[in-house]
Amino acid sequence: MAYPGAAREAFAREIESIRGQGLFKEERFIHSPQSSGILVEYPSGEAPRKVLNLCSNNYLGLSSHPEVIAAAHRGLDERGYGMSSVRFICGTQDLHRDLESAITSFLGTEDTILFPSCMDANAGVFEAVLGPEDVIISDRLVHASIIDGIRLCKAVQDSYKHADMGHLESKLEEHQDKRIRLIVTDGVFSMDGDLAPLDRICELAEKHGAMVFVDDSHASGFIGKTGRGTHEHFGVLGKIDIITTTLGKGLGGASGGCVSGRKEIVELCRQRARPYLFSNAVPPPIACAALKVLEILSRTTERRDKLEENTKFWRKAIREAGFVIKDGESPIVPIMLFNAKLSQDVARDLFREGVYVVGFFFPVVPAGQARIRTQMSADHDIPELEKAVEAFRRVGEKYGILGLDKKGIVARYGN
Amino acid sequence: MDEGLARRLGAQNARFREEGVYKRLNHLEGPQGVRVRMEGRGEVLVLSSNNYLGLASHPEVVAGAKAALDRYGAGTASVRFICGTLAIHRELEGALARFVGAAASLTYVSCWNANEGLPASILDEEDVVISDALNHASIIDSVRLCRAQRRVYSHSDMVALREALRETRTFRTRLVVTDGVFSMDGDTARLPDILDLAREHDAVVWVDDSHATGVLGPGGRGTAEHHGMLGQVDLVTSTLGKALGGAAGGFTAGPEEVVDYLVQRSRPQLFSNALPPAVAGGALAALRWIEAHPEAVARLHGNTRYFRERLLEIGFRPMEGDTPIVPILLGETSKAILCSEKLLDRGVFVTGFGYPVVPQGTARVRCQISAAHTREDLDFACDAFRRVGVELGLL
Repeated sequence: MAYPGAAREAFAREIESIRGQGLFKEERFIHSPQSSGILVEYPSGEAPRKVLNLCSNNYLGLSSHPEVIAAAHRGLDERGYGMSSVRFICGTQDLHRDLESAITSFLGTEDTILFPSCMDANAGVFEAVLGPEDVIISDRLVHASIIDGIRLCKAVQDSYKHADMGHLESKLEEHQDKRIRLIVTDGVFSMDGDLAPLDRICELAEKHGAMVFVDDSHASGFIGKTGRGTHEHFGVLGKIDIITTTLGKGLGGASGGCVSGRKEIVELCRQRARPYLFSNAVPPPIACAALKVLEILSRTTERRDKLEENTKFWRKAIREAGFVIKDGESPIVPIMLFNAKLSQDVARDLFREGVYVVGFFFPVVPAGQARIRTQMSADHDIPELEKAVEAFRRVGEKYGILGLDKKGIVARYGN
Repeated sequence: MDEGLARRLGAQNARFREEGVYKRLNHLEGPQGVRVRMEGRGEVLVLSSNNYLGLASHPEVVAGAKAALDRYGAGTASVRFICGTLAIHRELEGALARFVGAAASLTYVSCWNANEGLPASILDEEDVVISDALNHASIIDSVRLCRAQRRVYSHSDMVALREALRETRTFRTRLVVTDGVFSMDGDTARLPDILDLAREHDAVVWVDDSHATGVLGPGGRGTAEHHGMLGQVDLVTSTLGKALGGAAGGFTAGPEEVVDYLVQRSRPQLFSNALPPAVAGGALAALRWIEAHPEAVARLHGNTRYFRERLLEIGFRPMEGDTPIVPILLGETSKAILCSEKLLDRGVFVTGFGYPVVPQGTARVRCQISAAHTREDLDFACDAFRRVGVELGLL
């Protein structure tokens, strides 16, 4: 074996240092379907325990919905397990076309192309569409997959301060000489839970002849009156040139993503987007399940309505308990702890209390901004959430952080 | 939207059509298999899927997927490190590691992501990646995303590799990366030489075995087994999307420290979903099936030899090799696409590849053989090849 001792030691040292700082990511093995109550084996080897799940992207509770599972079964029976091929060779089933057009009508766009994941959609779209004569102006808090996608593209790269419209406008003016100006933003920001002001972004885009890209992964299925996404919420349906989103969160939660928008852009992705050309088609059971999800969501808004109620309840109750949360209206509710180790300790104690949450720290969020990100689901009910608030209160009391603001917590624990 | 962009892209698509290089999607109306129903074509024989062992719609694989679906639901709606790790992921990763001869493994939603997440996580400016010129697009992109320096050596050229290793002596970690089987040419990496050179120069070896896992070696364990060197490659990435059932997903296998480190830092691991339960369950069933049925791997090897011999008899000159990827070079992209269309008219589905998937002027039709093909299927395909070869003057 060539693997040199020096490399092995370097990796092992780095792992030890992560462990020493109390920042080691340990996998917790789940023995049940995804839902509000899950069976978790933690630490590894212990008998699994039932805990309340406050950290999944199962926003609409469709990950283990019986109709969705039945649809996946049907996919397996009628269309097999996998395609063993990329789309353009022999991996395209009529199912894929059906799913692409269902997404198109759900999002109110012109056309859609599926990718194995939204990470891949973001990795592929910029390079396929833009060249060195263009500019991408992105919000500074966009998702990691967008950052990687932009790095792979030859367009000029620039950014604006998070949700700062004045700054965005000055950038648009600065880049008037470029062929295409593409404004890039998340619809809902995954770590803060706030929404991009798409109404104002679209106004600026029109004024300056720019195009708009939105990653709506944390919005599709539940933001907006009928759950179409952030563009529906802000009344700009049809005005977003490129939407990327995932089937791996609200829309069932298995995997798969897409680029949806102007038909020429979608077509060009089919011809040129590298993760589309070089990676497998979405497997039949996943495609069938996603079609069922879209059918359910087009039938009723019951699930997104319940999610909205749960979110309102949780934001109010957790604030009243004395925690600092980030403002917003999305089901992503970050409880700010600032210190990385404190976020890990609080999460561990909450697990003992039967509440499953995860503490996030650098590099997933900026240094000194550690937090516990709670996420609401339509699967939760109010009595469950009341119990969770109680658990948070007990743990908050133990660490003496209830009622403290950022300054108070940092004074006590550092950042 | 800016009208200029729509016009420009529309014109570009029209140009693809004129040049005969436009990709048209063929819609299949049933499961992947040796024979499929294609919209507007009826039944066709498939020689272009990565379904090397015929497991894409195998009843045991489908049953494995269903059992996982019932036990774990449709999806995790979470990345692994939050609340997306299922007990079946651990089981699958243990089985994959054993199968490819490694200590541990970690799954991703695609091998594209496994590759994308590897060098960027474990290397930085002090390191260098030394890469074969014909490596897969996902390796190229993974190196583009990584801070390490890069050197490219001409395809399978051991003199060039030695030179690159000599020139990079001062770097902290040197990572030599190669496809196990090259997807467009069907040839195999010169693994014994690569490992010798790496040992001599204290370099780390990474092999992408996507077209070799389940395919090469008596047990289908990949390029290393083929060369009698199982367990000697430092890092293996591979896919579950070809021989191992063909749905989706990939993995990185290697020493515990590396896998542990990827859990901590690998971006596609931190920022993309866990493998869906049905996909994990199907892959695990596929893996167990392969371990129990080495005769299927032997049948694949036999079919490959037979098909290569028949093509030679007819007068085609397929690119040499001993893998089930059998490419026939035709030169211009439009010629490759015309040839594949004529074959489809005769009920044989083989894809023509042109630029940018292969270099300009080396367009080809690529045949892929499966253990599920019968000799009659292969004879039928060869007959179509003969007729089209005569018609287009290719023999």
